[in-house]
Amino acid sequence: MKIVATIIIVLLGIGSPTTNAAWPEDKPIKLIIPFGPGGFDSYARTLAPALEELLGAVVVPENVPGAGGRIAANTVYRARPDGYTIGLWSMPGMSLPAILGERVRYDLSKLTWIAQISFDSYALAVKGDSSIASLDDLCSLGRPASFAAQGGLTETASIATVIAMAELGCPYKLVTGYQSSGQATLGVMRGDVDARINPLGSLKPYVESGDVRLLVTFEQQAIYDGVPTIVDLGHREYEHFGLRRVVAGPPKLPAAIRDRLSAAFLDAMRTPRALAWSKETNNPFSPLDSAQTALAMQDVMRFYEQYGELLRSEFKGK
Amino acid sequence: MDFGLLSDALAAFVGGGHAHFAFLGVMVGLTFGVVPGLGGTTALALLIPITYTMDPVAAMYLAGGSMGATSFGGSLTAILLNTPGTPPNAATTFDGYPLTCQGKAGLAIGASATASALGGLIGLLSLLIVIPLAREIIYLFGPPEFFLLTILCLVAIAVATMGKLLRGLIAAGFGLIVAFVGQDTVSGEMRYTGEIFYLWDGIPLVPVLTGMFAIAQMLVLGVQGGAIVADSHEKTRLTGVTAGISAVFRHWTHLLRGSAIGTIIGAIPGLGGVVASFFAYSSAAQTSSDPETFGKGNIIGVIAPESANNAKDGASLLPAVAFGIPGSAESALLLSILILHGIEPGPSILIENQREIYALILAITFSAVGASVIGLLAARWLMLITHVRAHALVPIVIALTLTAVYVLEGKLGDVIVCGIAGIIGYLMIRFDYPRLTFIIALVLGKTMEQAFQQSVTISDGNLIAYIAGRPTSVVLLLAVLATLAVPAVRGRRRRQTERGTKQA
Repeated sequence: MKIVATIIIVLLGIGSPTTNAAWPEDKPIKLIIPFGPGGFDSYARTLAPALEELLGAVVVPENVPGAGGRIAANTVYRARPDGYTIGLWSMPGMSLPAILGERVRYDLSKLTWIAQISFDSYALAVKGDSSIASLDDLCSLGRPASFAAQGGLTETASIATVIAMAELGCPYKLVTGYQSSGQATLGVMRGDVDARINPLGSLKPYVESGDVRLLVTFEQQAIYDGVPTIVDLGHREYEHFGLRRVVAGPPKLPAAIRDRLSAAFLDAMRTPRALAWSKETNNPFSPLDSAQTALAMQDVMRFYEQYGELLRSEFKGK
Repeated sequence: MDFGLLSDALAAFVGGGHAHFAFLGVMVGLTFGVVPGLGGTTALALLIPITYTMDPVAAMYLAGGSMGATSFGGSLTAILLNTPGTPPNAATTFDGYPLTCQGKAGLAIGASATASALGGLIGLLSLLIVIPLAREIIYLFGPPEFFLLTILCLVAIAVATMGKLLRGLIAAGFGLIVAFVGQDTVSGEMRYTGEIFYLWDGIPLVPVLTGMFAIAQMLVLGVQGGAIVADSHEKTRLTGVTAGISAVFRHWTHLLRGSAIGTIIGAIPGLGGVVASFFAYSSAAQTSSDPETFGKGNIIGVIAPESANNAKDGASLLPAVAFGIPGSAESALLLSILILHGIEPGPSILIENQREIYALILAITFSAVGASVIGLLAARWLMLITHVRAHALVPIVIALTLTAVYVLEGKLGDVIVCGIAGIIGYLMIRFDYPRLTFIIALVLGKTMEQAFQQSVTISDGNLIAYIAGRPTSVVLLLAVLATLAVPAVRGRRRRQTERGTKQA
């Protein structure tokens, strides 16, 4: 589909390099989405029209799925730092391969962080009519509690489960391989497994319909009545335990361009259309500017790095 | 089921002023269906940005219109050029193309159009009937059932390759090997990928299928020269379309069975159209009183897979309307169109967004019928393609196909895979190895392995006890055994009758 977009752009003459206009008016800005249609894609396509208006430029969301987001990550990382190629990054997802010992071709500490779009903290859910009423119940079943996760053992969903269960000292077993996040949640509803750890936003519709029930949320403050947070249960704070959607450009992106992009993203999230979409579809924004994003990313990487050893030993030989 | 809602949706469709979007969708779908390599998912992916400014119902008309039309569009090239336009049409080539070679393309197109339209209608009807039971049905199929279903399909391969059992199994084994390239979806381990990112997500189906059928067929045609239907003058006339239409009614049991299979396989998330149409084909061949005629131009071999192919479209929405969880690549794209329009897919989608869901269901059905009508009207001219000489046809089809495969995701790797698959496909035709068993194994390999590993993990290794405790699994297991027994029983009966005739 990007080919067609490119052809259209070329035909319209938008891509002609002859004009002297300065960034960002002389050619389209590519907003690389590391996955196919779904959460990331919807955020990008919702914000794109507002970004176009605010920047006075053409913004083309481009899906570059594959290899768990690595192809997109490499594309953005290696792009010229001219402000015409930026991308959405999934965190902590994109930081995990390096922590797990994979040789990656991008260095997160060198990226130019532009803005944070969303932060969705994890929650632990069981089947709606499950007899498991609390975290204590789940941890004392007399057998390891089983957890559903999409993708392989090295995907974020599995890793979140490993970290949470290790911290809680709860015996568990992972049932991986579900084709999507939704299918893994379906696995809980169908009774394949006992529980699932997933971003709260994706679980919410199923909580509201009663198909699943939350046992604990990994948040600072409780959102749901009667559902304890991890802090309430006397455990440490997990302020970085969740899924973040972040915008970043290649290393050495000029500060002036970075700041204009950052401002445009923050403003785009404030437009009435974006706000209405966010509310209706239950896709909340958690905007952070470029400096705040950079700080948050350092914290996220530090948080996951401390589990590096645990994760590597957990996955060894599996 | 609430038929009142359906009549409201119908009224909105007729009087709402958006029906032209469904028609537009049908045209897009037919075009994408006809071009090998392009298919329903590509059409929907391209339509997503266009729908952004549209009313959600109009967006559903456009999307549903294109989704329902690709299946029939794809059958046209399957019949005329032995080249399935979309993966599920692969089974239609078995008998559709032999009919074309006998100068009976009209018969096959007539049958395909009618079976598609009626299959679509039956699919809609069954969808409306089963919506209230959607959850129960979906809950019946967990990992062990998925595993057994894939086994059932693989066993059916053996039966469907009558006479060429060993070659069929070799091709299927080869397909499984190719299916296991890429990241192990359970452990996350890389297999046979080297340092090549392209291989991480496995060998993609569409470029392989397109190469193996479209490119390979063009190589065959190029080598042998001439045209598909050699001598022609009296055959240029469109004959047999009405015979094709009435054939569907004559073989109504196959129509119903094909539609039922399409509905069931469609409703189960993750199996998809290739399995549905192949399963319909093999079950028709398997239970036929003269199975030898299959593969040589038996019209039932067109009716069964095409009715299943269209029936599955409506049913594939079931997981989406029941849970907001997509069961196929197409419904994932449909849901993302809804998200763009501010609709949150979830378990309450059918309650809160009836208007959009019923618009979608209606559009898919309308397009199944609409595409068939357009196809029948155009059949006379479409058939002329079989008289085009190879030296003109081959380069055009190859160029179009490779371009389509590149447009799919903009990956050069896909074009390379398509080319390689084309050469392998040509060799398979040359040495008489069935290509479809390869494709089926490629489609099922990952699901089978994943479901098996999940079942083993969940049951802590006690797979047999786990299966024995699940009624659906037991039924599927019996079906596997019955399928395995069919050739033995049939062979024995044949020997008995032969003995009987000798004695008499």
